[in-house]
Amino acid sequence: MHNSAWLWFALIVLLSWGIVGLLQKLSTNYLSAEWALVWLAVGFFVLEPWLYPGHVLFKYSLRSSGWAFLGGVLNALGAWALLAALKSGGKASIVAPFTALYPVVVVFLAPTILHESISARQALGVVCALIAVVLLSTESSEKSSA
Amino acid sequence: MGMPEAIKAKWFWYSIFCVLCWGAWALVSKLGTEGISASGMQFIFAFGFIPVALMAVIARRARFERNLKGIGFSVGNGVLSGIGGLALFAAYRSGGNTSVITVATALYPVITVALALLVLSERLTRLQAVGLVFAALAMIILAS
Repeated sequence: MHNSAWLWFALIVLLSWGIVGLLQKLSTNYLSAEWALVWLAVGFFVLEPWLYPGHVLFKYSLRSSGWAFLGGVLNALGAWALLAALKSGGKASIVAPFTALYPVVVVFLAPTILHESISARQALGVVCALIAVVLLSTESSEKSSA
Repeated sequence: MGMPEAIKAKWFWYSIFCVLCWGAWALVSKLGTEGISASGMQFIFAFGFIPVALMAVIARRARFERNLKGIGFSVGNGVLSGIGGLALFAAYRSGGNTSVITVATALYPVITVALALLVLSERLTRLQAVGLVFAALAMIILAS
């Protein structure tokens, strides 16, 4: 009840990443997975001039900057592993719902690493969301995977 | 029961690795946002992508590709992923529960499925329809 600001940001995430899901399908129709990843990184850098925080950048602690950089590495490695899974014979109808389960790692580790717990109501929402993510990630109609 | 077979398959372990990487990414992102603004986070995050993208190209010896349509879609992908990342970091900074935010934002296939219906003229499967109902339920519960 107290803080719903996150919800508005979450809606922006849903919209932008929802479109990304579609563009991903389209981009790999024309490019290999590796070059799709490179051009995706280029897309990140298109935003950099607007994101540049100024001199504050050099005042960030090494620890926090390290987490941010590591986040980029981990995200990219995850994307690469997903593409590798698909290339090494994994069916998109199984791999996509499987990899969509990454929030489970957060739900399990957040209490120990971040010292955060969730209420019973939130737990119910989390379970519904995880079921939804798995079901929604199943393949649409009989589109042949590339 | 294809499970024992799956465990022997490469794709299975790649998928597990993906889940672990993305789970860890969400956790370290939360830790990072405790000391850095959302825009600063996204700014630094982008640099983390470079070594992996280069490694991917070098390891696979992938030849340079310049299909303009493909490049357009991929760059657009990066821009939108960046905007989404920025919003995610802002959500983490807002003080909301990390598990709840991570799960709620992972619901983005709702939009992908809706767009695939409209743009790619794909049809909604029964499983996806049930998924939409669960997604709506989840959002109602998490937002209340």
